Amino acid sequence: MTPERFAHLADAYGADLKHWPEAEREDARTLIARGDTRVLVALDQAAWLDQQLDTHHAAQPDVRLIQQVVASAFAVERPSFRSRFSNWLPRLGFVGAGLAGIAAGMLVTSLSLPLTGTPDALPSIFDHGDADLMLSLDAEESEQ
Amino acid sequence: MKETDPDTELLARVGNNDPEAVKEMVSRKLPRLLALASRLLGDAEEARDIAQESFLRVWKNAASWRSGQARFDTWLHRVALNLCYDRLRSRRERPLNAVAVEEEPLIEAIDSSPSPEEQLQHQAQSAQLAAALAALPERQREAIVLQYYQELSNIEAAALMEVSVEALESLLSRARRNLRRYLAESDRVESDRTATPGRGNR
Repeated sequence: MTPERFAHLADAYGADLKHWPEAEREDARTLIARGDTRVLVALDQAAWLDQQLDTHHAAQPDVRLIQQVVASAFAVERPSFRSRFSNWLPRLGFVGAGLAGIAAGMLVTSLSLPLTGTPDALPSIFDHGDADLMLSLDAEESEQ
Repeated sequence: MKETDPDTELLARVGNNDPEAVKEMVSRKLPRLLALASRLLGDAEEARDIAQESFLRVWKNAASWRSGQARFDTWLHRVALNLCYDRLRSRRERPLNAVAVEEEPLIEAIDSSPSPEEQLQHQAQSAQLAAALAALPERQREAIVLQYYQELSNIEAAALMEVSVEALESLLSRARRNLRRYLAESDRVESDRTATPGRGNR
């Protein structure tokens, strides 16, 4: 770290190295230990302003404010399960409807396709015996 | 940032309506929030409103907080900052007046038992610094409050302000230069006033 870089950082972050970027602290300590005049001047200038900044006391919470804030924790309406997942529920519904549509489509498709399996494996309202009977009835009618 | 968030466990307890956790959260965060808002706004009453409003957001989000994203403290600063921005925006036409700030009762002496004279001196110094902070441009004030007083890292402060680290450093340097100039000038005015009694009496 150069003394110029040190002065630049002291000008931004002040004299207390705990406010400095972590990666710069070790080099800064080394530079201070070396006692370079430019570094010490920059450090003094920054320390003066730090001291001034420390004179400012911000407002402190009084008992009334503390009580009000604590009470507000139990008065606030926390989001219910439904509202917490309100963004998800319509999406889940949409996905569910989509899946149901796909399932219905697959069912319709399967019913409309010709059967490729052996017919014997499937039940039929006509049995072979009935077919023979019907054929013989047709033959008798045509003879008459 | 892989380090564990020190507030996550407490937040989970707050989400479960644990009264002790609520008190712990208030004592841990309320002073920080109030300091942030009072330094940015220069108005004690508005700072209280900001703190209360920020805590309402905490209570509402505690149960559904997911760790692993932003640190809770950074998120809380973001919430408070946004509320402060809203206030500042709404009073743009009525810029922060250093004299008005000086008269605001937001600076409270917190020293344990200083003598009345010391107390007066501390109050005067604090008021002078409050006026100097109030006189800074908004972005410079925000940078110094987040980095110096709130002790956020440069990366966190830059992220909250949505600027690069280099831009943050530039804002900080300008802020500190302006503060030095303001304080030196007010010291000069003060010494002129004491040197010539009768002038400057209100």
